[in-house]
Amino acid sequence: MPQLNPSPWLLILLFSWLIFLTMLPSKTQLHTFPNMPSTQNMCKQEPEPWTWPWA
Amino acid sequence: MSLNFFDQFMSPTLLGVPLIAVAMMFPWTLLPTPTNRWLNNRTLTLQNWFIGRFTNQLLQPLNTGGHKWAMILTMLMIFLMSLNLLGLLPYTFTPTTQLSLNMGLAIPFWLATVLLGLRNQPTAALGHLLPEGTPTLLIPILIIIETISLLIRPLALGVRLTANLTAGHLLMQLIATAAFVLLPMMPTVALLTTLVLFLLTLLEIAVAMIQAYVFVLLLSLYLQENV
Repeated sequence: MPQLNPSPWLLILLFSWLIFLTMLPSKTQLHTFPNMPSTQNMCKQEPEPWTWPWA
Repeated sequence: MSLNFFDQFMSPTLLGVPLIAVAMMFPWTLLPTPTNRWLNNRTLTLQNWFIGRFTNQLLQPLNTGGHKWAMILTMLMIFLMSLNLLGLLPYTFTPTTQLSLNMGLAIPFWLATVLLGLRNQPTAALGHLLPEGTPTLLIPILIIIETISLLIRPLALGVRLTANLTAGHLLMQLIATAAFVLLPMMPTVALLTTLVLFLLTLLEIAVAMIQAYVFVLLLSLYLQENV
């Protein structure tokens, strides 16, 4: 089985961790989730009257 | 030197360049880095959704101390899943079929969870070696058995991923060869074999995603025990 050939093992190990630690954090960490979930208000809010722009 | 079916797993080199390096660097071109723009394109939105849901799902059983591992476990999931899925395309090389890569990921992560447990809560960590309610006579042998099962975890993690992917790729190559060889002789049988190949490919897509998930899930379970 060629996977058991020990010669590229160290290189594969080092390279895979290098990619894992350098390229992936920037791709993963920058995914932000901006909306903080809030609980629903119990009472319905009464809307204040506002002036229409064309009025 | 005759070609055998295992040669597809030899770490390929082209003009002296190890192609495993290319195979490991390519998936990140398909994952755009998010900027600070609010409006994203569809790819980014979908990836964002996936990462958010996955992290939520994975970290629910962990206590707050384990949440420090959120980023690295998500990174691991993305790493394994993209490498597995891209390896299903024809003529690509799957780095996760290499035992070296999988052991190189499994052993450090597992060791980290074990050392974390032993350092922060040694009694609880060692207490996992003896299940509750064991009859007194069985205690020594059960501790031995549980220690062996603890030590075999990284081996199991690495070999599970390697074996699943290797077996899948090997099976696909075998059935594709069969369909190809049967085509001039018995075209109908070749057609049926191609159907089997198609179904197998669908299975392999599922296996690719599931195996990556299982790897990360088991690590989160080991973390749960120790944090």
